[in-house]
Parts: sequence; C-alpha cells; structure tokens
Amino acid sequence: MDLHELRRQDYTLEEISQEVLVAFGDFFRDQCPTSVVRASEPLGFDQNLWDRLVEMGTTTMGLPESAGGDGAGVIELALVAEEFGRAVAPVPYIEHVVTSRALAAAATPALDQVLAGAADGSHIVALASYPIQPGSKQLVPAGAVAKSVLGLAGDDLILYTVEQSPALVRNQGHTPLAWWDFDSAGSRIVVATGANAHAIFKRAHDERMVLMASALVGMTESALALTVEFTKTRETMGVLISTLQGVAFPLTDIATNIAGARNIARKAAWFLDNEPDQRPELPAIAMVYSAQTATHGTTNAAHFQGGLGFTLEADVSLYFLRSKGWSALAGDPSAHLVDIGDHVLASAK
Amino acid sequence: MDFALIDLDEEHRALQLEIREYLTELFTPDVFAQEHEFGDGFNKKVYEGLGARGWLYPELPATQGGADFTPLQQRIMDLELDRQDARIMMMRGTSSLPMSAVRKYMPSDMAEPILKACAQGQAVMCLGYSEPDGGSDIANAKVRAVQDGDMWTINGSKMWTTGAHVSTYTFLVTRTDPDAPKHKGITMFLVPLDTPGVTIQGIRTFSGERTNIVYYEDVQIHDRYRIGGVNDGWSVLHGPLDAEHSIGVDMSDGLTDLSIGAGFCKVLAGSIVEVAEWANKTTGPDGRSMAEDTRVRERLGAALVEYEAGINTPGPMGRVRASDALVKQSAILQDLLGPAGLLPMDEEGSIGNGDTEYAHRFAQGTGTYGGTVEVFRTIIAQHVLGLPKASYPGSKVFLAGKKKS
Ligand SMILES: Cc1cc2nc3c(=O)[nH]c(=O)nc-3n(C[C@H](O)[C@H](O)[C@H](O)COP(=O)(O)OP(=O)(O)OC[C@H]3O[C@@H](n4cnc5c(N)ncnc54)[C@H](O)[C@@H]3O)c2cc1C
Repeated sequence: MDLHELRRQDYTLEEISQEVLVAFGDFFRDQCPTSVVRASEPLGFDQNLWDRLVEMGTTTMGLPESAGGDGAGVIELALVAEEFGRAVAPVPYIEHVVTSRALAAAATPALDQVLAGAADGSHIVALASYPIQPGSKQLVPAGAVAKSVLGLAGDDLILYTVEQSPALVRNQGHTPLAWWDFDSAGSRIVVATGANAHAIFKRAHDERMVLMASALVGMTESALALTVEFTKTRETMGVLISTLQGVAFPLTDIATNIAGARNIARKAAWFLDNEPDQRPELPAIAMVYSAQTATHGTTNAAHFQGGLGFTLEADVSLYFLRSKGWSALAGDPSAHLVDIGDHVLASAK
Repeated sequence: MDFALIDLDEEHRALQLEIREYLTELFTPDVFAQEHEFGDGFNKKVYEGLGARGWLYPELPATQGGADFTPLQQRIMDLELDRQDARIMMMRGTSSLPMSAVRKYMPSDMAEPILKACAQGQAVMCLGYSEPDGGSDIANAKVRAVQDGDMWTINGSKMWTTGAHVSTYTFLVTRTDPDAPKHKGITMFLVPLDTPGVTIQGIRTFSGERTNIVYYEDVQIHDRYRIGGVNDGWSVLHGPLDAEHSIGVDMSDGLTDLSIGAGFCKVLAGSIVEVAEWANKTTGPDGRSMAEDTRVRERLGAALVEYEAGINTPGPMGRVRASDALVKQSAILQDLLGPAGLLPMDEEGSIGNGDTEYAHRFAQGTGTYGGTVEVFRTIIAQHVLGLPKASYPGSKVFLAGKKKS
C-alpha cells in the first residue's frame, strides 16, 4: 500500500445519490414495517413488496443503458442496499441485482428473454456461491424464489433455469434459501467462457459483497436505534441504564463500527465503479468489516434489552437473526481475510 | 464522493518536488537519531528550516509567517512530511492549538510577535492541561493563579506537559476562583517557560516519547499573558479542545484525513508492510515460505481490515477506532514475528526497521493522550447517540476547592 498517494478522501454523497438514499429510505419505511417482515416468515419473500420495488425501478436502475437500464453505479445500488438492510426487507434485492448485471455484462443474445424478465422483476435470478461440481447440490441464496441461477462450472459461466424454484429450506435468517441440484436443471445457457467467465463471476461476487456490506450497515443501525431508545427509558437503581458506562460505551462502539463500515462499503463501491483494479481487496474488506459490525452490533443491541432482547416478540430479534442469516450467505469472513492477506503479501516486496 | 488520484498540474508537481528535496535536506540521519534517542517530537533545525520558508504552518497567510498554501498544497506538504517522520512534527500540531487561542484572544501587539515566532519555528508551545491528580477531568484543574494588581502568582504542578523542555510557552489551565462552579473558576494563561519558579522534569514513556512534569512555584506572570477573560477559561479552552477532538471540521474537499486517528493507522500500516515483507522472505520451520502460512495470511488480512476501519471512521469515533485497531493489531502482528519481533531496530537480527516492535509500545499511549478513549466514548454517547449525561458528584462542582474550604 502506498500511504503517500495523493488521493482525495471525499466521502460526501453527490446530490443525486443523496436523493436515491432518501427516496429508498422513505419507500422502505412506508412499505416495509416490521409487520411485513414478520408476515413474510419463514420464506422471507413478499410478492407485493417486490412488485412495488420493481415499480420504483430497482430492478432496472443498475442495468446498463444498452440493456434498457439506467446505468446506475454500484454506489447507488449500495445506497439502496443500506435502506433495504435497514428494513430487513423480504425481497431478493442483492441477489437479483448483481446477477442481472452479470447477465447484462455477458451480453449474449441468448439471454435476452431472461434479462427482460429480470428487468421487469417477473423472473428472479440468483448467484451460486461456489463453483458448481457435477453431482453435488448447493444452498443458493434466494434460490427458493429464483427461476435462474448463475454459476461457474469449470471455466464456463452457466445460467441454470428451472420451471419451478426448488422448495424453501427454513433457516436462521428467514431468507429464501434452497438446495439447487444443477444436474437436473431444465435449461442451461453458457453465458461466458474462459477468463471472461471468471471475470464476470468474480465481479458479481465483489458486487454482492459490497451490497451485502451496505445492507448489514443499515440492519445494524436499525437494531442500535431500537436499543438506544430502550435504554433511554429503562431504569435501574433510580438511574436510566443509558447513563451507565457499561451500557453506553458498548453502544458507542456499535455506532463507531457502523460509521466506519458504511464508509468502507461506499468507498469499495466507488472503486468498483471507477478504478476496479486499483483496490481489488476492498469488497472483501467491506464484507468482513460489516459482518463483524453486524454480529457485534446486533448481539449487543439484543443484550442491552435484557431478557426482552432474547424474545422473538422484540423487534431486535429480527435483526439479530438476520445479521448472521444474511452475512453468512456471502462467505466465511476467515476465508476473505486469507484473500485480503494474500493481497497484502503480493503488494509487499 | 471522490477517491481519485489527484492529477497535479505542472506548478503543483514542481512544488511537490521542491518540498521533497528540501525535506530530504532537512531530515538528515542525525535528526532521526536524535528523535530516536530523546523522543522530543521536535527538532530545532527542522522547525527553523521549515519556518524559514513559511512551511511550518504553510496554511497561514504569508504576512503571518505562513505561505498562503491552499488545502491542496497543504495536503502535498503533509504527505511529504509523512514520508519523513511524523513523530518529529508532533510539537507542530501541539502548538497549533494554543496558537488559535492566542490569535483570537490576545491583543494583537502581544499576539503577533508570538505567533510569528511560532510560524518561523523559533518558538513552540505546549499544553499545560493535565495535572498529577487527573487529566480526564480538565475542568477540575487545581493549579492556582492569584491576582495582585497587574501580576498573577501561579502555584502548583502540571503533569504530561509534553514538549515543555523544548517549548517557549505553555498554554496553562489555572484555577482562579475555587468557590465558583468548576467550569466558571478557570483562567487561561500563556506562560513563558523561562519565568523564574518554573521547573521542568522529564518523564520517559515506553514508546520512547518524552513528556514532563512542570512545577510552578510562586511564578509571577503579567496580566498581559492572560488569554481570555478572568474565570472564562473554559470557553477559551473549548476552541482548542474541540479542534483536538476534531469537532466541526469541514472535509468536503477530501483533502484532510477523515479520522482523527489516521496518524495511528500509519503506524499500523508500517507494521503491516514490515510483517508482509518479512513473511515474503522468511522460510518457516516446515521449509515453506511464511507467506504461505495461513496464520500469516489471515492475520495480515485482519490487520488490513482494522487499518481501513481506523481511517474510514470519521472524527472522534475514528480516534477511538484507530486506537483500538492499533492496540490490538500491533500485539497480534508482533506475535507473528516470534522472539525476533521483540528486538528494537538496532539490535542484531531485528526485523525490518523495528516498526512492529515500536508499534506495540507506541500503541498504548494512543488510548490515553489527547483525552482517553473513555472520554471520547462519553462524547460519542452524548453527541452521536444522544444518550443522557451521567450525573457525578463532581460534574459541576470544583471538588478540590470544596474539600479545602
Ligand atoms: C505520552 C503522553 C503525552 C501527553 N501529553 C499531554 C500534554 O501535552 N498536555 C497535557 O495537558 N496532557 C498530556 N497528556 C495527559 C493526558 O491527556 C492524560 O493522561 C489523559 O487525559 C488521562 O488523564 P490521567 O492520565 O490523569 O488519567 P485519569 O484521568 O486519572 O484516568 C485514569 C483512567 O480512568 C479513566 N477515566 C477517567 N475519567 C473517566 C470517566 N469520566 N469515564 C470513564 N473512564 C474514565 C481513564 O480513561 C483512564 O483509563 C499526555 C499523556 C501521555 C501519556
């Protein structure tokens, strides 16, 4: 790392980005109160919310103009993800958006129909987490609502499509996870091959990590807000618990982690949009740090509501269960750390 | 948002080169050796050399001894200084806090020569806030100043007055009304340290940084050295304290560090690079490169994540985060190096420049000076989370005063 590089360190959002943030903040606040989140369990998908989100242009904003989209960058998508996470919205926003973009990047006429369906939200697409091995099944995030899954098999990037999405497997985060048996998928389209296939797949994963990192920031912030309010009214021995440093200080650490995680995710998005080869390790850094922030943040947010925080009835439980239920979908942090370490080693003498 | 490389035009590139060359001339090996041995955070030759060109506080107008630098020119300067040794520049930062108070409160005929001397590197100022009985509660300062006509008599002692032994003045917090509510009985002075009755004694820290205890025994100071109103010291102090806590700084041009702990992160970065270079050229007991060892890879990855956390967390939160990152990661990185990681830079078989060995010792102080991380967490609790203030017996009352009377 070159510490003396003269780069700007400007984290302020452009006006248009600010508008995206506000618009989607309002949208999720109106359309996705926690009652909607609860009602969607255990599948973790709300068709009505999805339709509204599509109406907002969410499924097209990140597509290139050539594919009928608005050509928004990862940064705008990350801002939407922050608000999506804040609401823990039961829609496959991240999976669908990054996979659609990967399909558009492949620019194969064979994909036109799928892409059109992805753009209008009728055909949900998702991304396989691991390379596909013949004869083995994979748990696919959003796999229980997706009709197509994009995966890397050897040096081929393949879109697997089924008539009907496989059944939900119930899970801690109440997301539409499903086992996909790729061998039995009805249709397969080779989307890209060789280096191009690997590059598209990697890019999709990087985008997924950045969007997930942003979503976890919003999620943790929601949990913190609930607990801050709780501690401002709960008393012990005649004082508010929020005046106790044993309570207040860990809460400040959550806020501190959130502030940093948000900036790292946005910075990672900026580099993906502008100089993707310059900081290839940033998406993983964003992912790991947000996962830590969410685990620590939602754990403590639940803890400082005492016994209540351990109950399903408390809304903080929604965030606690999803902090792991979402972050684990983007891979084991230790594996990411090893990758980041390899980058450090490779850039050192 | 913008993280792009700044494309310097010819004029700026020339300035960058000029600065780089001049700094290379100034920062000779004996300068580093001296800092290593004494830990002054200061060097007369460097400060006067920079000051001669208006480059010590280049953001100041030339008429005030600066160089009219724009924020971009300033950033170029700071990055070039970082390439040398940030430690030596410590007193520059320390002086800049009282300088703003002097500029604001002292009559200009008094202030101007003082500020000019500072800008020219001929005077530095230190902070006389903390006392032996406790530094977190600055408003509880006990050093007494008593007025008699135009003169004040000062008695008591200050601890941790870093740089007092190289400074011309100290920015002193005194108690002038022990019976008033504690924030309303404080007066600030700029005390010339060569005044009779001032005794300075060195204290060594395990980072190598020197600090001091300063005794004031019937020190006579003219009222002209008072800064701000009598018993109005708290509002005078607020400006510099807020600056130290980086409150209300405009950063929209992207030319300042976001985190006030960014400097701590540079020390962590030095250690990360050192460990990576060591791993790349070291063979482990099993005959494989240490760079292939999963422990090394994972811990270096974790250290870089923490580095990013430190520099990407804004303001006062960044100070806490960067300190935590450095404290934890420096210890872990040192473990990776094994026994050789314990050797300081000039010992046989020490690793790299001993940056990791140093980082672990240096880290500890970062949680304490400039206000401890607990004091900062208190600020964050109130100002970021909006949590209510705790009420302690000494929140409003000057307890030492009460006990005495
Ligand atoms: C190397 C070095 C350089 C320094 N340079 C200067 C300088 O130039 N000028 C200057 O004036 N001072 C300086 N200081 C002093 C520094 O600001 C103080 O050490 C610091 O403010 C803490 O004060 P203290 O050491 O008296 O500890 P105390 O205030 O006695 O604190 C002891 C412990 O209790 C904790 N604590 C105290 N109050 C609270 C609270 N309300 N809530 C929770 N925890 C609390 C602290 O965090 C700390 O861990 C320096 C210190 C060091 C180590």
